[in-house]
Amino acid sequence: MRTFRYERFGGIVQLERPRALVFVDRDRARALGYRDQERWLQPPPEGELGLLSAPLEAHLQLTNRCSAGCQGCYTGASPDGAPQEYGESDWRRVIDALAAQGVFHLALGGGESALLPWLGDLARYARARGLVPNLTTSGLYSDHELERLIGWAPLFGQINVSLDGIGDGYRQVRGVDGFAQADRAIVRLRKVHKFVGINCVVTRQNFDSLAEIFGYVKKRKLREIELLRFKPSGRGRRVYESLRCTDAQHRSLLPAVLKLARRHRLRVRLDCSYTPMIAHHRVKPELMAWLGVYGCAGGDLLVAAKATGALTACSFAAPTEVRADRIADYWQRPDAFSTFRQWRSSEEPCRSCDYLKLCRGGCRVVSAHTLHDAARPDPECPRVVDFRAQQPVRLHLPLVADASANANANAND
Amino acid sequence: MAGKIIAVKWGYNPNSSSLGVDVTFLLFGMAAISFLTPLVSLFLRGRKPT
Repeated sequence: MRTFRYERFGGIVQLERPRALVFVDRDRARALGYRDQERWLQPPPEGELGLLSAPLEAHLQLTNRCSAGCQGCYTGASPDGAPQEYGESDWRRVIDALAAQGVFHLALGGGESALLPWLGDLARYARARGLVPNLTTSGLYSDHELERLIGWAPLFGQINVSLDGIGDGYRQVRGVDGFAQADRAIVRLRKVHKFVGINCVVTRQNFDSLAEIFGYVKKRKLREIELLRFKPSGRGRRVYESLRCTDAQHRSLLPAVLKLARRHRLRVRLDCSYTPMIAHHRVKPELMAWLGVYGCAGGDLLVAAKATGALTACSFAAPTEVRADRIADYWQRPDAFSTFRQWRSSEEPCRSCDYLKLCRGGCRVVSAHTLHDAARPDPECPRVVDFRAQQPVRLHLPLVADASANANANAND
Repeated sequence: MAGKIIAVKWGYNPNSSSLGVDVTFLLFGMAAISFLTPLVSLFLRGRKPT
C-alpha cells in the first residue's frame, strides 16, 4: 500500500489503521522523516490545496454489462454492455498508469463488475501495485456469482451494495424489484467482511424512508451508509424530474442524516454533489476543509474511466479524448478536464460565496443537464435557488444554434 | 511535533460514481478538530516513513 505522496503543500500520508488519508504541510512531513523533494522547490499554494499531483482515487467502470435494467441507471447499463469494452489486460495497464501517478484508491463499479470472471484477479493486481481496490455491487446476480464474489471479498478495502429502499421502497426508486437479492448479498458479504456498507441514492420518493434505511443498516451490522444525490445521467436523464429531491428536502438533508447517524451510531458519507447542501447550514469552512468535504472533485481529487477505457473527470461526465492509461500526459495539460477545473471563475452567486473553494460550484453534471452549461452554478444549491428567486424575472430565449453549441461544448468537456 | 495536519479524509470510498466523504464528525462541530488532531498525530508518529 502506498504510504506517502509528495504534494506542493506538503504531502499525503496514508494510514491503514485507522483508515485515513492525512494531508500534512511541509513542516509536518519533515517531522515525520520525509526529506525535501523537487515538488517543494516552488512555494506552497496559499489558502487551498492547489492542483494535486494526481487524483486520490480513480473510479473504474469495468463493464457496462448489467441485466437489472434500473430506471435511473446513471451509466445506461444493458445486458450486452458497451461496444469495445476494455478487458482484464487493458485494465491492468490502466492500474499500472494510476499506480505510477500515485493514486491511492480504486472504486470499481459498472454495470455490474461482479459478473466479470477476472474481477478477483484484477483486485489482486491492484493490491500488488499498491492501490486499495473498493467495490460497489448491486447484488442482483446468481448464487454462483455471489459465491465467487464472497471468495474475492477480502481483497477489497470496502464493499458497498446499492440499496435505495427497503422492501417495496427499493422498487419505487429503481423500477425493479431487487430488494431480496440485494439483502441476500449484504447478509452473505457481511459474514465474510467487516467493511460492508450500502450506497443509497436519495430521491424524493425515499427521502422520508431514510430512517427506515438507517435502521436496516444498523440491523445488518453494516459499517456505513453512503448517500448519493440522484444525477441526470444515463437513463437517469429520463426520470430526473420525477426522482430528484425537492428543494425543501435538500435543505433538510444534513440535519436529518446527522440525527440518524447519532441515533443509530453509524458512519455516514455524503457524495461530493451534496456539498452545497452542507454549506447551506453554515458549517465552518475550516471544519469542512479539515474533514475533506469538497464539492465537485472531478478531474482533481478523483478521475473516472468508462468501460471503454476513456478517461473522464467523473463517472457522470462525458469522456475526454484520452484513455485512462495516458493519464500522466493529460493530467498537467492546462485544458485538462476543462469545465471541471474552472470553478475559480464561477459566476454569481458562487463568486462571492464563502464556500467556493470547498464547494467549487456544486455538481457540474446537474448544471450541464438543467442549464445546458456545465460551468454555471449548480441550480439545486439552496444559495443559488435563493439568489435566483431575488433576481428580476426576465425571459431568456436562447437561439437553437446557441443551445446546440453549448451542448457540444459540454460533450467535449 | 512541528507543522500541521491540513485535512483528514476518513475511510475508503467504494462508490464508483462520486467522492463520498465521511461527514459523521460534523456532529461535533469544531471540537472534532480539537479531539481528532492529537489522535491522528499519535497514529502518524506510530508509523515509519518509507
